[in-house]
Amino acid sequence: MDPISWWVWPIILFVFTFIIGIIAPLSGVGGGVLFVPLSTAFFPFSVDFIRGAGLIMALTSALSSAPQFIKRGLANIKIMAPVVCISMVTSIIGGIVGLWITNAFPSGKYYITIALGLVLLLIFFVMATSKRIEFPEVKEVDVLSKKLGLTGAWYEPSVNKILEYKTTKLPIGILCFSVVGFIAGMFGLGAGWANVPVLNLIMGAPIKVAVATSMAVITVNDAAAAWIYMAKGAMLPLIVVPSVVGITIGARIGARLAVRAKPAFVKYLVMGIMLFAALLNVYKGLRGLGIF
Amino acid sequence: MRKEEVHIDPMNKTFAKVMEVFTLIGLIVMVIFGLLYLFNLSSYVDTQSAIAHWGHSASKFWEETKGVKISGYNWFLTNLNRMDCLSMLGIVILALTPFLSIVFAIPRSKGAYRGLLFILTLEFIFAILRPLIMAK
Repeated sequence: MDPISWWVWPIILFVFTFIIGIIAPLSGVGGGVLFVPLSTAFFPFSVDFIRGAGLIMALTSALSSAPQFIKRGLANIKIMAPVVCISMVTSIIGGIVGLWITNAFPSGKYYITIALGLVLLLIFFVMATSKRIEFPEVKEVDVLSKKLGLTGAWYEPSVNKILEYKTTKLPIGILCFSVVGFIAGMFGLGAGWANVPVLNLIMGAPIKVAVATSMAVITVNDAAAAWIYMAKGAMLPLIVVPSVVGITIGARIGARLAVRAKPAFVKYLVMGIMLFAALLNVYKGLRGLGIF
Repeated sequence: MRKEEVHIDPMNKTFAKVMEVFTLIGLIVMVIFGLLYLFNLSSYVDTQSAIAHWGHSASKFWEETKGVKISGYNWFLTNLNRMDCLSMLGIVILALTPFLSIVFAIPRSKGAYRGLLFILTLEFIFAILRPLIMAK
């Protein structure tokens, strides 16, 4: 029997996710990308329930912010629709494969833990190397993007102007999003860390549009994968509710702090935590398999 | 230029409006019943038992706590008098929200987008029904 009283766990989860909620916006990552690996490394819950909760956390955050972004012209369904046509399918497949691995093999959870560690190393690498371009220059537009009219506009208060944009390289974007969708579904991540560079650096969306449209993409991908987890009973309100409440309140505070300043050390701190969690998950998985 | 002059097409506007409404409903249902569950009002899986077994994989967890094999949504839909299952209903509403936003946006869409949103609707229906159709 667990030595800790049951009611302590929701409080621990609330405080844990509240802190994640504050530091995530300051570092520029989503809360789920910290919650899933850290919980897998340090908490006693099965990775199944952690991924289920991670998906709902990412989904709730995206659902809460996407409508505001769309109303301001920052998120655009025109860009979202063609990419999620493919990524929704891969996200569902990711969810099925992820749960199949942990439930069909006796050592399945260790394989998933190792894979999560490796994905985290990839995220660390993306964060360390990718640049953000405020207004990428789109010189040529591919045929598909042209036909679908992937353009938009938003009011930018910093320059007091309505800024117009267009995006390109839709086929490459779709290919990238299909891989990202699989990872999101398999590990219960929002995957903004990958969506934003694809939209910004490959498809040429301005950074604000990329961040906002990524939220719209997450609503669809994570909602589709959530059904897989629900149908397998991999969601426990005991974990989901305190985590969603904690991260929602924390993120509101974090977002306000982020408007004032985004101290560089917070980003490096989060990257350090992610690297540590990645190595710990790989070690934990290998130890579970009897390799260490 | 004022921000009021930014043109947002009707498809985007409808999508956003529907998403806003259903997200609020889903969150309220999930959190209120989730908190009542945490206060130990009628539950399907009692908190002590959940904590004792939550280290197991999902399939083993349900075998140990309720002696059932979960495949589909019956586990919470047939127990909607229990607070944890009502909280799950809030999660269902949240997971349905993008689907409903897409469905409501279809009549406001034009050209290729009508087709794309229709495909997305079918994909969502597949995601929801797949566990029921392909259950072992």
